[in-house]
This record gives sequence, C-alpha cells and structure tokens, in this order.
Amino acid sequence: MDPEAARTARESLDLAFHISNILNTGIDRHTLSVLIALCDMGVNPEALAAVVKELRQEPPSSEAIISKNTTSLTRPT
Amino acid sequence: MEEDDPSKVLDLIKDLVLRLLSHNPTSNSSPTSSDFQKSLRYAIRILTSRMTPSIAPDAAAIAESIKRRLATEGKSSQALTFADLYTKFASKTGPGSVNNKWAVLYLLKIVAEDRKCRQTQFESSVLLPNLVASDPVLGKKSSGAEKEWQKGVLLVAKDPENLRDVAFKEFANLLKEENEVSEEVLVRDVLYACQGIDGKYVKFDNNADGYVLSNIVKAPRATRTMVRKLCEIGWLFRKVKGYISENMERFPAEDVGTVGHAFCAALQDELSEYYKLLAVVEAQSMNPIPLVSEAASSGNYLSLRRLAVWFAEPMVKMRLMAVLVDKCRVLKGGAMAGAIHLHAQHGDPLVLEFMRRLLRRVCSPLFEMVRSWVLEGELEDIFSEFFVVGQQVKAESLWREGYRLHSGMLPSFISQSLAQRILRTGKSINFLRVCCEDMGWADAATEAAVAAGTTTKRGSLGYGETDALESLVDGAAKRIDKHLLDVMHKRYKFKDHCLAIKRYLLLGQGDFVQYLMDIVGPELSEPANSISLFKLSGLLETAIRSSNAQYDDPDILDRLKVKMMPHGTGDRGWDVFSLEYEARVPLDTVFTESVMSKYLRIFNFLWKLRRVEHALIGTWKTMKPNCITSCSLTKLHHGVKLQLLSTLRRCQVLWVEMNHFVSNLQYYIMFEVLEVSWSDFSNEMEAAMDLDDLLAAHEKYLHSIFEKSLLGEQSQPLCKSLFVLFDLILRFRSNADRLYEGIHELQCRTIESSLPSRGKSTNIRSTEKSLETASWLADGKKALTQRAREFLRNVEQDLAALAKEYSSLLEGFISQLPLQQHVDLKFLLFRLDFTEFYSQLQPRV
Repeated sequence: MDPEAARTARESLDLAFHISNILNTGIDRHTLSVLIALCDMGVNPEALAAVVKELRQEPPSSEAIISKNTTSLTRPT
Repeated sequence: MEEDDPSKVLDLIKDLVLRLLSHNPTSNSSPTSSDFQKSLRYAIRILTSRMTPSIAPDAAAIAESIKRRLATEGKSSQALTFADLYTKFASKTGPGSVNNKWAVLYLLKIVAEDRKCRQTQFESSVLLPNLVASDPVLGKKSSGAEKEWQKGVLLVAKDPENLRDVAFKEFANLLKEENEVSEEVLVRDVLYACQGIDGKYVKFDNNADGYVLSNIVKAPRATRTMVRKLCEIGWLFRKVKGYISENMERFPAEDVGTVGHAFCAALQDELSEYYKLLAVVEAQSMNPIPLVSEAASSGNYLSLRRLAVWFAEPMVKMRLMAVLVDKCRVLKGGAMAGAIHLHAQHGDPLVLEFMRRLLRRVCSPLFEMVRSWVLEGELEDIFSEFFVVGQQVKAESLWREGYRLHSGMLPSFISQSLAQRILRTGKSINFLRVCCEDMGWADAATEAAVAAGTTTKRGSLGYGETDALESLVDGAAKRIDKHLLDVMHKRYKFKDHCLAIKRYLLLGQGDFVQYLMDIVGPELSEPANSISLFKLSGLLETAIRSSNAQYDDPDILDRLKVKMMPHGTGDRGWDVFSLEYEARVPLDTVFTESVMSKYLRIFNFLWKLRRVEHALIGTWKTMKPNCITSCSLTKLHHGVKLQLLSTLRRCQVLWVEMNHFVSNLQYYIMFEVLEVSWSDFSNEMEAAMDLDDLLAAHEKYLHSIFEKSLLGEQSQPLCKSLFVLFDLILRFRSNADRLYEGIHELQCRTIESSLPSRGKSTNIRSTEKSLETASWLADGKKALTQRAREFLRNVEQDLAALAKEYSSLLEGFISQLPLQQHVDLKFLLFRLDFTEFYSQLQPRV
C-alpha cells in the first residue's frame, strides 16, 4: 500500500468518524473501521446496522426488544 | 460479498462482534467464551439473512436526508458541519478511499436513528408508569424531555425512590377513590348495554330514553358522559333488533312483504357480524395490557376510551341501520328498496359498501319479480310490492287496462322508461297467452334469457347490475314484441282486417258501394221502424255477391254485418242504416268499442255523402232525355215554352253547381283524406316495433280521418252546415223529379190533345188516368196552357228559393273553411273555389 493511499484511507476514516459523532451513533473508531471494511466488501449495510443494534447491549435494550416483539391485538374487520 | 475472501469477511465480523461486546461490561468478552460464540452465530445469521439493501444506492440522497433530519431537530450547526464533512468525504477518491460511500453513510444513519428511538422509548417507559388514567400534562413533558434526557435525567428517573413516581402512585390512588366502580366493571356493563341487556350499573332509563350510569354510583362526570356516548350503540341496537323481531313475528300473516323480509334478514346478518365483534371485544377485555415494563401494574386491556375507538365503525353502521329502520317502518316493496337506495348515495366508501351489501339482499326479491315478469309474464306478488299492478279485466281491454305501473313502488334505481319496457314486455306475454292463445313466446323468452347471459334460474340478478337488468329486459322486450307483432300480422292478419275496414266501412270498394246503394236505396226510403234487419242483411249479401267483394276472404266477409242504429219516430231508413265490422279477440284490442263507434260515425258521414252523390246522379239520369223532349214541345204556346225553358235552365244550373260541390267534396275525402291517411298508416305499421306502436299508428290514422272529414269536435258547426247542405241537395232532387214528372205529363197531354185518337187508345190502361185525361181534354187546349203555366211558375219559385238558400249556405260553408286548423281543408277550399268564383262573389255580400 503506497503512502498516498494510506493517507487517503486515514482521512476518509477521520471524516466518517466525525460524521458518526455528529449523528451520535456511539460507534468508536476501531469498530467504524471494521464496519467500513465490511461495507467495502459489499455486505448489506442494513444487516450490519442490525448486528450493531442487536449486539450493543445497552441496559434497557432487552425491554425495548420485548415491547417491539409483542404482538398487539388484531382488530377484526 | 466477494467470493474470494470469505475468510477475511469472517475475520472482520469476529473483530466487530468482539468490539461490540467489549462495550458491555457485564459480558465476558474473550473470543472463546460461549457468550461470544453465541453472539457471533447470531451476527452471521443476521448478515446472511439480508443480502441486499432495501433502498437504491444513492449517497447524495442519504446525505440529504441526514442533513434535513439534523436541521429539523434544531441542530442546524451540526447539519452544516455534516454537509461540510460529507463533501470532503465524497471528494476522497482513488486508492485507499472508501469505495462504498453510500453504504457507510446508510449504516451510520440507521444506527443513529435506532439509537435515538431506543432512547425515547426507554425514556417514555421510565417516565410513564402505566396508570389507569394517564395525565396529559405528563405526556407532553415526556416528548419535550428529550434534551433533558441527554443531561442525565434518566438517572434520576431510574431511581425507584423517585418523587415523580410517588406522585403518580398518589394520583392513581386518588383516581381509584373517586371512581367507586372500577373501569373494568364499567366496561363490562357497557358491553352488556351494547347487546341491549341491562348491566349492574348501566341500565336502560325510560325517561332519558337511553342507557345511563345509575345515579347511586359515584363517578366523575367525564366517565358518565363517556358511558352515555358508548351506550348510544346499545340504544340503536335495541331499535334495530326490535324492528326485526316485530317484523319476523308478523311475517307470514301480515303484509310485511318479501322485500321487508329480505331487509330483516340482511339486518340480522349485519347484527350477527356485530355480535362477533362484541365477542372478540369481550374476550379481549379480560386480557391485561401487554406492557413494556413488568414493574407497573397494568389494568385490563379495554378501557372506556379504547372501547370508544373499537365502537367507532360499528356505531356508524348501527346508526345507518337505525335510520333505515325508521324510514322503512311504513314502507314496503319497491318503495322500501327505493328509500334504502336513496341512502346508498353516499361518499363514504364504508357506508357505500355497507349499503350495497344490504341492497343486494333487499332487492333480490324485487329483481326476481322483474325476471319472472319479463320472461314468464308471471305476477308473483302476493304482498303487492311490485311496481306492476295487474287487475282482472276482460280480454279485449287486457292490453290497455290489464296492467299498469304503480309509481309508488317504483324504486328510483329503475328508470321510468325501463319500467315502461318491463311493463310492456310482461304485458305482451300475457296478451299472447290470454288473447292470442299463443305459446311461441316461451321460446322467445328463453332465447332472450340466454342472450342476456343469465339463465332462467332464480337469483341471477342483483342490485347494482342495472346494465344486466336493462340488457335482459331489452333482449326480452325485443324478442317478445317481435313475436307478438308476427302473431298479429301473420296469424291474425291485422293488415288485411284494416284494409277490409277501409274497403267496406270507409266505402273504399266503389263497385260494392254502388251495388249496395242501388239495392238498398228503395228499402231505406221507408220509415225506420218498418225495416227488417234480416232483409237488409240479405241485400248486403246480394251486394257482396254481385260486386268484386265476393273474391275477398270469406273470414273477412263473414265479419261484415248490417247494423241498425237506435231510431226515433220519423226517422227514415237512411238515418239508421250502417255497416259494422266484427273485430274478434285479439283484434278487439285495436278495434275497441270506442274505435268502432268512430268508424261508425265516419261511415255515416261517408254514406250520406255517397247517397247525395247517388241522388244527383239519379237526377242527371232523368234530365238527360230532356233535350229531346224539349224539341217536341214546339207546339206549345210561345209564352209557356219560354217559361219552360227558363225553368229547365235554372234547374240545370243549380244541378251543375251542386254536382261541382259534391264531387269535389267526394274527391277530397277519397284522395286527400282516406288514401293519404292509409298510406301513412301502412308505413307506420311496417315500422312498428311493438303493439303500442301499432296501436298508436292506428289511433293516429283514425284520428286523422276523423279530423279531416270534419267530424272532430272543432269542426262541429262546419259539419252541421254540411249536413244541411246535403239535405238541401236531397230536397232539390225531389223538386227536380217533380219538375220532370210535370214536364213529362205535360208532354203527354200535348201529344194527346193533338192526337186524341191515339191518346185514347194508349191511355185506357188505368181508369184513374183516363178520368183525369178526360177532364184535361174537357178543359181544352187553353186550360192546358193555363195549367202548365201555373205549374211551371210554382216549380220555378221553388227552385229559386232553393237556389237562394243553397248559395247562402254554401257561402257560409266556404267562408268557414279557412278558419279550420287542418291544413288539408285548404285543399278542399282550393278545389271548390278553383275559378275564384265564390271568393269574387263574397265581397259583395
């Protein structure tokens, strides 16, 4: 990898990290680099986002998932 | 995913999982732990399950949407920064840069949104413990508390000893105290009330005419109002249910009618739908509300408010049904269907669909009636619900009076013209069946049903299929009308009969009329009461046999009869004689009694005209030999001779004048009236599509003859003066006869006086005559001249008076002609006054 390309890569990562911070995603730099690499390999970003969402175990997340999965009463028509 | 480096991807995923798990302080983040293995498997499953993104790859669009979201959240500075960063990020190209820029952006966006929404959820679940009644102020706060959350309010809220939580609990207790009855019980009661049953607390109040929460129970006003609103559906239900059970009870005995019955059944079905809903709601009311946090105590799923939402749609339907029930209470049959149809004109698709379903049921008996009426001519209508009403009449008036439309029972979705066609089609079938004794219509009807695409099975038509109905009716109408006309023309020879009537009753067959006039003439001069009908019938037979009429169809000749009109004293045979044509079933539908009486009047008029013409011709016959005799009168005295000549002349002139009038009138009647009308009629007969057309054409034909022959109401005075003229002409005939008899006698005398020997020998035949002759002879030549002079003077005076009367009458008649409305009378005037002789005469008078 020539130094020019390495510089571009670093700058890109910097910019992405900035954006990530602005958006308040809570992803750290290393994780972001892994994610970018996966994206570049053509992995579906939606799936990646789902992985991040599921695995990042924040305290209330269990409740939230339950509430989302609970089936609601279906109205008879 | 690229095929050549799956191991690299796997490594990266492992790394990612590790990084993500390392955030979690509770889990063991070593790559070998079971936790890690589980998470990794989970991650791989997620990644392999969704291979392609759900949106189109477009980096600029995603960036735009992120920017907009930031801006709407009030973080405009961040939005600007983001825009700046994005342009830089996008400008990085070449080796080492991120290739899949949109994917990265999209990923970040989803993660950010997810995080945010999780925060709000988390926040609300903490801030809103599930109370029976939630405080609206609190709800507002929760949405506005977003910013505070970032400042760490969450930590405070999570505290179980939180003041806010304590306050909520107090509030909930307060609510419980205020409501003596718990909401679950009220919900149950309301559900009962909705089925028309009194609950424990909610009961039907006759004074208020509705279900109310009883006053002994302590409850806030809001709850009372809510209960009353919810119970409206119960009130409506009671009403609908009451109507149904009332009608069902009465059904077979009283005239609820099949349509009413169908309406009730449809309502019943709707109610059973409603019951199903109630069952579901009731089952649900027992379930607790599924909650996010198990900590908060949850009430039952159904609150009064939720119930209000559940009942919104059934309420609309129930109201509609109640309105319909009110409308239809006094109506039945087609009127009921019409009334319901009026309510179906609604913009709301829900209402529209509901009404359509209802109407399909309600109208089915009605459409069934239409179908059997149009295809079979059957009127199955015991409750008189159909818009066609039949009544018992004689066969001849079946077509005109047997069936009629009952406009009250005509639902508005069937147009008037369609109803007319329906009426006529069924009527045609019945007419064919009853009057024509024809069975061929069944084939026509089957054909029509097949052509319309519906079989003759029951229940094939429904509401809303007006096109199908129309095509069925049209098809049936076309075929059956055609069949009916075929039967009328081919089997019953309608046209032949019309022609026969024209030939015999309207005196179109010249030779027949001439013979009849010759034969019957002497008989008819007798007083009316001494004439025998049988003798006249015999004479009619003779006239037929001696004229071309004998070659006519015997069936037609059989129907021709002599008729004597009722007569008063002093009437001559001429006044009461008439011909009659017997129209048998089914032709008497066309030739009804009133039509025949019109024909009779026309016949009388024409007969009189013929008679006058006949009389004038008779006079001509006696006048004809006169030119020879006048030559032989040279031996007469000069004065007498001049007098005789002038009298004869006057007689001739008068005759010519009268003949001119009568022959022109005759000509007019024949060619301007009868033949023209007939030609119009036969054209219309060809073009007629159904029996109504045929009847109208015949009516028109008869009317045109009637009006043009001066027999109409408006030409009454004209007709009267015409008859006076006729009488005058007949009087002239007798005068002329007298004159010529006199002249003849005079001639005889003159010859006798000059040749007495010969006269004697010839005149011995009768004693009477010889006596008379003797007196004449005795008087001598002088006396003869004297007598002749006297006789001629008398006749001349009579003729002069006659001529004067005639000319004044004719003048009156001609002056009245232009006042008539009929254009054709102008032709008569023109014909009579061709040389403008009369119009020149007129100004002087």
